[in-house]
Amino acid sequence: MSRVQSMARRRRTAGPKGRDDEVRLTAALVTFALTSMILMAVMLLAPVVKVGPSEGELAPDFSAQSYSGGAWVNFRLSDLFNKSWEPEGDGDWIVVQYIDTDCPYCWSEGELMSQLHSQWGDEVTFVTVVVELGIQGHESNREEIEAFRDKTPYDGCKTNSDCADRPGDPHPWVYVDDLNEKTTGDWEIPGTPFTALLQPDGIVAWNPLQHENDGEGIETAIQRLVGGA
Amino acid sequence: MAVDVPLMAFLAGLAIATALAVRARSREGEAGTMTMLDSGLAFSVVGLLSSGWTYAIHNSILDSGDTTMCASEGLVQCGSVIGDPDWNNLFGIPWGITGLLSFSLLFFLFLSLRMDMHAKWADSFTTYSLLAGLAGVPFVIFLVFVELTQVEGAPHICPYCTIAHLSLIGFLVVAHLVRGRKQSGMWA
Repeated sequence: MSRVQSMARRRRTAGPKGRDDEVRLTAALVTFALTSMILMAVMLLAPVVKVGPSEGELAPDFSAQSYSGGAWVNFRLSDLFNKSWEPEGDGDWIVVQYIDTDCPYCWSEGELMSQLHSQWGDEVTFVTVVVELGIQGHESNREEIEAFRDKTPYDGCKTNSDCADRPGDPHPWVYVDDLNEKTTGDWEIPGTPFTALLQPDGIVAWNPLQHENDGEGIETAIQRLVGGA
Repeated sequence: MAVDVPLMAFLAGLAIATALAVRARSREGEAGTMTMLDSGLAFSVVGLLSSGWTYAIHNSILDSGDTTMCASEGLVQCGSVIGDPDWNNLFGIPWGITGLLSFSLLFFLFLSLRMDMHAKWADSFTTYSLLAGLAGVPFVIFLVFVELTQVEGAPHICPYCTIAHLSLIGFLVVAHLVRGRKQSGMWA
């Protein structure tokens, strides 16, 4: 008998009875099978909904404090969704715009947003989410958000400009405080401004990052998707 | 008030698992240990199923904004808990999936012990089971805190989440008893 065989025999007789690895493998397979069956049952009961900022995905939901000209109140994006909406049916589309009140491009886009709202305000609900980019001089607060939205005197928009000088009209839609950037990860915001268009049921219909090659902007996208042009 | 059949089934599962644990305590030797392991397996299966159910509720709320699988109003409900975007996930992973993975691990550990309680790794697996169960306790405390204080319109109690929490606590007690049997020579 070889030395290896002898050692193996000693181990078998000295150790407790058992089947070791074979048992654990079988247990792992049974566990995997059971978990898979439960997951399949879940899929049959309620299929997974893909959530994300890409077109065709359900827009990431969030809740935060918001300002519409009065007191700051709680706002939840999904409260705007009409889940029973059918294509060609009635229902408000949703523009979600991310800005930083100190970002010069967001400052300029104030005018475009005013134009879009005056043209599409009856069919589209506008939501502006205000974030604070981690750039020196971009510190914001709620007073600055209010002044940016309302176009009222406040020194600090676009770093050191008076918010009353912002291009465009006062914005009569909801502004959401996300200065802590709680939602930017889910929305995969690369920078500001970022403006997406959602169907009334909350599905992302247009994401600017998917139109960098064809050059389509938010104005054309709204015209095409909401206006049917 | 309509009878919630799935909830009743889960409660029955918890009752069976508890009854097995009580029965096992009065039995000595291998038969008692086997019954105790069966109890732990029952707790982990109830945990797996209730986690799967909460994941289905999560998907259902995302899909239609509401669910018929659980009440969405009142103190005892799921809508404001599982439907709250701020609290219904762990780093983007729904709590139902986290529960499924966690209870899978517990089920695997106890199933391995049940299939071969004399294996040389049996001692370490009893310890792993207890540690894995203990690891879940902070999450249960956190989620109960969230239900009672943080979600929109708190306090709320999500019944299926509570079933999963009770399953973990039940498993933890059984894992503690199993380890005690192993160390005190009552194993077989």
